[in-house]
This record gives sequence, C-alpha cells and structure tokens, in this order.
Amino acid sequence: MKILVIEDDETTGQFIARGLREEGHSVDLVTDGRAGLIEATGGTHDVMIVDRMLPEIDGLTLIKTLRAAGNRTPALFLTSLGSVEDRIGGLNAGGDDYLVKPFAFGELSARVAALARRPPAQEQDTVLKAGGLEMDLIARKVTRDGVTIDLLPREFAILEHLLRRKGRVQTRTMLLEAIWDISFDPMTNVVETHISRLRAKVDKPFDTELIKTVRGAGYRIDA
Amino acid sequence: MKARLTSLLRSMPLRLALALVLLFTLVSLISLTATYLVTARSFDQALRNDLTQRMAGFRAAPNALALAQLVEAEARETDPERMVLSYFAPNLRHYGNAALARDSEGYHVVSLSQDSPRLTGQYLALTAALHGGQLTIARSRSEIAALRRGFLNILVLSLVPTVLVALSGGVLLARRSARNVQAVAHTLDKLTTGDLKARVGAVPAWSDDLAEIAGRIDQMAEAQESSVAAIKQVSSDIAHDLKTPIQRVAVHLDELSRHAELTGAAAEDLDRAQAEIDRIVSVFGSLLQIAQIESGTPRSRFRPVDLGALVAICVDLYEPSAAETGHVLAADLAPDVPAVPGDRDLLLQLLANLVENALRHTPPGSRITVALKLSGPAVRLAVSDSGPGIPEAERENVLRRLYRLDRSRGTPGSGLGLSLVSVVARLHGAEMRLEDNAPGLRVVLTFPDVVGPGSS
Repeated sequence: MKILVIEDDETTGQFIARGLREEGHSVDLVTDGRAGLIEATGGTHDVMIVDRMLPEIDGLTLIKTLRAAGNRTPALFLTSLGSVEDRIGGLNAGGDDYLVKPFAFGELSARVAALARRPPAQEQDTVLKAGGLEMDLIARKVTRDGVTIDLLPREFAILEHLLRRKGRVQTRTMLLEAIWDISFDPMTNVVETHISRLRAKVDKPFDTELIKTVRGAGYRIDA
Repeated sequence: MKARLTSLLRSMPLRLALALVLLFTLVSLISLTATYLVTARSFDQALRNDLTQRMAGFRAAPNALALAQLVEAEARETDPERMVLSYFAPNLRHYGNAALARDSEGYHVVSLSQDSPRLTGQYLALTAALHGGQLTIARSRSEIAALRRGFLNILVLSLVPTVLVALSGGVLLARRSARNVQAVAHTLDKLTTGDLKARVGAVPAWSDDLAEIAGRIDQMAEAQESSVAAIKQVSSDIAHDLKTPIQRVAVHLDELSRHAELTGAAAEDLDRAQAEIDRIVSVFGSLLQIAQIESGTPRSRFRPVDLGALVAICVDLYEPSAAETGHVLAADLAPDVPAVPGDRDLLLQLLANLVENALRHTPPGSRITVALKLSGPAVRLAVSDSGPGIPEAERENVLRRLYRLDRSRGTPGSGLGLSLVSVVARLHGAEMRLEDNAPGLRVVLTFPDVVGPGSS
C-alpha cells in the first residue's frame, strides 16, 4: 500500500514510517499541513495518517479541504486530546478513524489495514470458513472439523467479527468498539478474558490454534 | 389558563397598574364625597335660610285674614312638589297647597290641588303659630337628591374609563414584559445547560431596567464563553505538549521491544516501563477527561439513554473477568424503567468504572450487583458489593481526585475512577451517595430527569 503520513513530531513520524515500511508499505512522510495538502492532492495514496495539530494548516482543515475537493482517500487522525467532542469533530470533518496518542504501533497498523479495505468483504456470505471451521450465519451454527461447537451469542459475535476480517489483526479497542460499542479503554483485561473463553471452545479441543495472538497488537484468524 | 392568569397577575406592570387604579379610585371617591357633602350642606343651609325669610314675610301680615289671603295667593302659584304651604286659621279653615294628613300609617303630606295625592320625598319644614293659627312652610329636598345622583354619575363616568384604560394598559405591558422576561429565562436555561453561545440580545423596545439586566447577562455569558474557550485551549496545549514526549518514550520502548533481543531482567524492566507508560497515559487521560467534562460538556448533546441496556452491556463485558477472579457479577433490572437524558458514552464509562472499582477492591467470592429501578419519579442505579466497604469517615475522601485508601495502594487503578463517576453524575444532575451495603459498599445514583416511559 502507498501511505501518506503527515506528522510534525519527527520521532513519532519516523517511528510510524519505519514500522509501516517494515510491513512492506511505501510511505511518504511530510511534517507540515501545507506540504501534506500538496502531497495528498495527487490522490495516489491508499491511506492517509494525519496529526490533528500541524503547523501551517491543521489536520482538520486539511481533511475538510481535501473532502471538499472530492478526495475520498481514507484518513486516520492522530490526536493528543481524545475527548468525545474531539472525536466527533474529527469524524465530522471527513476523517474515517481516530487514534489517541500515545498509541502502540500494532494498533495503528491494524487500523490502517482496516481502513484500506473498507467495506469488509464477504458481507453477502451466509457461511464463513477458516481452516476447518465453518460458521453458518443463518442457522447460527458453528462446526469445526465436523464437530458442533456451542457458542453463547456474545462469543458468536466475536468469532463472526474475526472471521469476516480474516487475515487482518483486530485490536482490543477495535473489538470493544465493534462488539460492545465502547469508545473508552477499560482498565481490566476484559477483551482478553472474552477471547480466552472463546478459545476454550474453538481451539482447545483441536490440534491447531485458529485465533492467533499478535503480540503488542491484537488477534487474528489467518485466511 | 388559570396558571397563565396567575402568572399575569404576579407580573410587575400589572401589579403597578392595579395599585394605581386602586389609588385613583380611592382618591376620586374621597374628593367627590367631600365635595358632595359640602355642597349638600350648603344647599340645606340655603333652604333653611329661604324658609326663615319666607316665614318672616308671612309674619309681616297684620291679621289672620290677611295671612290666609297671602298664603292662598302664594299657594296658587306654588307647586307642592317644590314647596308646601299650609295654614290652619283660627276659624278652623285650611289654606295652602298641601296639608299634613294623618292616617293609620302615620303623618304624611298630601297635595290639595290634585285630589290629594300623597307627596313623597324629603321636605324641610318650618312651623310657626301665627295669629291664632298654625303656618307650615316646607321646602322639598329633591334638589339635594338630584345633586347626589349627579355626583354618582360623575363618579361612574370618570372612574370606569380610567379603570378600563389603566387595566388594559397594565395587561398589555405585563404581557410584553412577560415575553421579555421569558427571553431572559430561556437564555439563562441554555447557558446553564452548556450552550455558551446563547445571548439575550435585548432590543431598544425593551424597558430600560430589563435591557440593562439583559445586557449584563450577555456580558457575563461572553466572559464565560471566552474563559471556557481559554481553559479548553490550555488543556489542549498541555495535552499536546505532554503527550508528544510520552509518545516518544512509548515509541522508543516499542522499538526496543521489537528490535533488541532482550532477555531476563532487561525484558522484565522493559515490560514494567511499558506498563508504567500505560498507567501515565491512563491517569493523564482521565484527568484530562474530568477537566473537559467540568469545563462544560454541552447538555444539548444529551439523548435519551436506556440505562438498562448499558447495565446489560457492562455485565456482559465484565462477567468473564469477574468469573475469572471468582466474583459473581449480576444485573438486577426492574421492568419498564424509563430512559434518562444523557451522554451514552459517559454513562457507560461511569457504569464500567463502578463495576471495575467493585471488582478491584473486593476479595474473590464477593458478589457484585448492578440494580436499576424506578424510585418515585426518578431512576435509581445502584452498584453494590459484599466486600470490605469504605469506612464512613473515608466516603467523602474517595471522591477526591487521585485519593486512594491505604489498603488499596497495592491494587492497580488510578484513583480517578470514582472522581470521574461523580463528575459524570453531576453533569447528569444525578445525586450520588455511598452507602453501607452491610457488608460492602453500595454506590447509589439517582437520576431525577427521565424521558417518557418506553422510549429509548
């Protein structure tokens, strides 16, 4: 993917660019809003990562200007504030996602991947498959290697979410947003316990591990 | 209708108008009555003088016959309705235009000219014994009665229009001022609920005193708006200036963990450093959030929130974690609890904080219940646990920022959980009480405002 990073703090900008390049993306890094606007107007990027506080032109104005000019490149805001108003303001201006500083690279990477592939594929499928696992969305039945697995509604929803995004990492906060519609970060490891319950049913009785833990990031079911 | 009338009657201009009308009526009554009394008395005096004079005239007659002729002559030209003349001569004959008759009902005056009809009305009479007979002259007081009618007419004709004009003017003014007062009240409501852009905007048509108050309110709102904006700018600057270095530290630690092959104690140190960064970020984030809520989260963004649904989400989210630490987490939802106006995200966080707090500060095996019910007109949310509770003397303190009980120092947590809960509760106008659950702690939130039943 070709990714544009507009970040005025050099350490953070370099960190993002290096991490994304290691993942095989091509990255353009600029450090102020004006240069960012010029780069973005080319319209050749798959995703933009934009700091909200930028010299010359701030991030909000930059995205508003691009959207007004018809540029639809998915944009992820980086912000220091993270209040509800701040988030709503960012999304209203035309941002697609939102990440509060400081963030772990895994979180950023997972969200960039999610942005690039919007909307999720397989929306029309009635059966989701991965490895030997099959999820029948109409009968609401799950089997693995022919063995029926009984799941509670919440476990079913988490598994469905991961299956629909096969091959992509889902972070704790992404799961919290998608499954419970929660936009704050609980102190306790709630997501981890939900996943381990799900694993006890989906993975434990079988040889191979389907739900993988990605260190420092989240969870993934391989395609 | 009745309420509108009451509020109209309580308004300042109408009260002034009523008081003025009352005063005017009173003064008019007193002055007219006084004038009437004085005039009536002088009329009366004039009648008496007239009678005395006439009597003197009759006294001048030399004998009874001359007097009788004089009375007859005058009586022929005098209407008994106006003046009665009556002379009983010594020869037992009666001269005059009327006579004092007596029957079973008492004395009365009868006219002699037209078949002796009774004469009514008041008369002022003077009687004298003259030349062996008795002469009576009486003047009717009907003129004084006419005078009274005249004065009453003046009273009615002058008072009724005055009262009507004053009253309708008062009502008109009262309605106008009620509208203006309404505009002021509306603006104040908006300001107190967080819409800091609201202004009264008095126009020149307003009365001076009200326009002055409105102007001051607008000045105050202006000052408040700019100081809130300044606070927001400061917290945004602080957030940016502090978070950037924290971000850099996090970046360096992240790079270390990804690229350096650390083992043993070094790896542990790194994990600990990363955990500390997380804690700094979380405390910082909570402080920032509390400051932001306190500096005016607009209540205009409030929507009906189904607290029951939030309790369900929360219990669902924390149930596995609770089970893992041996806690029992349960919801106790009464049916048909109405929604409350609020900010869903903040209320959900409030609930999560209370549940996390209970999980963190109670030993394994404790029971945690989140109960929601209708209590009178209000919605009552209670999170109770069967843990050690909080000593009564400490209950005030735990709501203070960053305060932690001595026994909790070893447990994770920022010491901001309950502060945030109390700030969010205050934002929603909810009363927050810490009670003894005997044993354990019960946090009770009472939301006085509810949205109509059934909506969500």
